Amino acid sequence: MLRLNNIEVAYLGVIRVLHGVSLSVPEGTIVALLGANGGGKSTTLKAISGLLRVEEGEVTDGSIEWNGERIDRKSGEEIGKLGIIQALEGRHVFEHLNTEENLLVGAFNNPNRGLVKHDLEMVYDYFPRLKTLRASTAGYLSGGEQQMLVIGRAMMARPKLMMLDEPSLGLAPLMVKEIYDIIHRFNAEQKTSVLLVEQNVRIALSIAHYGYVMENGHIVLDGTVDFLKNNEDIKEFYMGLSAVGTKRSYREVKHYKRRKRWL
Amino acid sequence: MTELLQFIITGLALGIVYALIALGFVVVWKSSGVANLALGQLVLISAWFTYSMLAQAQLPVWLGLPLVIIFALFLGWVIERIILRPLIAQPILSLITVTLGLGYFLQGLVGIIWPMSLAAMPPLFPKTPVRIGTAVVSQEYLWAAIISLVLFGLLTLYFRYNRMGIAMRAAADDQKAVQACGIPVTRIFSRSWMFACVLAAVGGVLISSIGNITVGLTHTGLQAFSVVILGGLDSLPGAIIAGPIIGLSETIGAGYLTPLTWPGIREVIPFIIIIIVMFARPYGLFGEERIERI
Repeated sequence: MLRLNNIEVAYLGVIRVLHGVSLSVPEGTIVALLGANGGGKSTTLKAISGLLRVEEGEVTDGSIEWNGERIDRKSGEEIGKLGIIQALEGRHVFEHLNTEENLLVGAFNNPNRGLVKHDLEMVYDYFPRLKTLRASTAGYLSGGEQQMLVIGRAMMARPKLMMLDEPSLGLAPLMVKEIYDIIHRFNAEQKTSVLLVEQNVRIALSIAHYGYVMENGHIVLDGTVDFLKNNEDIKEFYMGLSAVGTKRSYREVKHYKRRKRWL
Repeated sequence: MTELLQFIITGLALGIVYALIALGFVVVWKSSGVANLALGQLVLISAWFTYSMLAQAQLPVWLGLPLVIIFALFLGWVIERIILRPLIAQPILSLITVTLGLGYFLQGLVGIIWPMSLAAMPPLFPKTPVRIGTAVVSQEYLWAAIISLVLFGLLTLYFRYNRMGIAMRAAADDQKAVQACGIPVTRIFSRSWMFACVLAAVGGVLISSIGNITVGLTHTGLQAFSVVILGGLDSLPGAIIAGPIIGLSETIGAGYLTPLTWPGIREVIPFIIIIIVMFARPYGLFGEERIERI
């Protein structure tokens, strides 16, 4: 179980981007972190995985706990060894390595060759397409295949918590659906918790159990998926739905309401 | 004809050793993006250390050479840990400049510890020359080539199959993603410097058993730079192919051009070749082109 207690994050010591974020990811669940650009979603993930320090960011207040143990002062490697693995935003594959080597890098901290082989088969089982591409140079894979590779690489680390940063970014809708089905299956079969950052609210809520909405470094709304799906604001501002069945004149839509202000 | 064959064989052998030293440069460059300008001085100090072990301390070869390797590993570890690690995340220019400083420091250190400016490496290989066709070649050249080729083979296997080797290649592509996989990048940097030092040490021993130990050994480092630039900064196969080109141009060029021009031509020829190649292929013969999907 991962728990963030009121954390604040500042870059370079002065630029505060998270203003007291609290959330929790219970074991075995998929939690979605939703919201528009620049809301602090990726920063939250980096704060958890310890990658913040590379970017001169720092958790200045609050605490991050993993199964009761504080991890916000630990280095990225230590956190990785605890089983918290982040797949970065934007398909960071190792371009000049082939598919299989990319996956093996993910299993770096697993010294047991037999297990690595087993995990490799498991990933190929989830992503049959990667198996046919195992000897191809990763830099030449298509966007969807690269995203699969990045997720597969995270799976190779035997994560207890897998954090995915916008797996749908820039992909065709069919590919997004395929990838999300696999994440869903992986969570159900392996009991791995998933923390999912996503702008595509509709697809994220289709597999998540719980969701948080972030804006400007604050959590502004949270609840179970059913609650969020039925929330008027979510429907209108994130899913593009308005009150169904009622024809409304354009004049009735007050222009200031087109953008939701949460606070 | 005999002359030419002789030049070709010695050129190839020398070139392969240059390539070996150049590999050390490539490994560091690829994993951490630092250009190691202390290459020649690393060659120099390891050659003198070998001299101390074998000639001054009179150790047998089977004990002395492993000690040289251990010394090189330790040197690489110390350099990364003390000099480069505090500079992580600093501008790349400071990292490169610090290696330049390291080079001068090592050269000064050599001057203090081994004040004699010339020494002969104790013979490591049988002295009887070998006949290849019509040419007569001393055995050092052949052994140098064989040992270098074996090391190439081992390194290639390491980078292809060892998990640390694969991680080192991955770090060359995307450091942040390597960290996200929970891999300590500092260990990768450290490992690459240890490799660089061992390769420089082996190169130093081989080159100085062909010639002598003088401060001129730093010139070997320059030749290795030529190899790296010609082959492509980030390409292991590039270094292996460019090495013999530089070696051949040095021996053949020196052999035929020195009588016609002036004595220093030997040192200049590799650089002339590099300039010509740079016009056509700025990233070297085999430098990795960036993979960009559009």
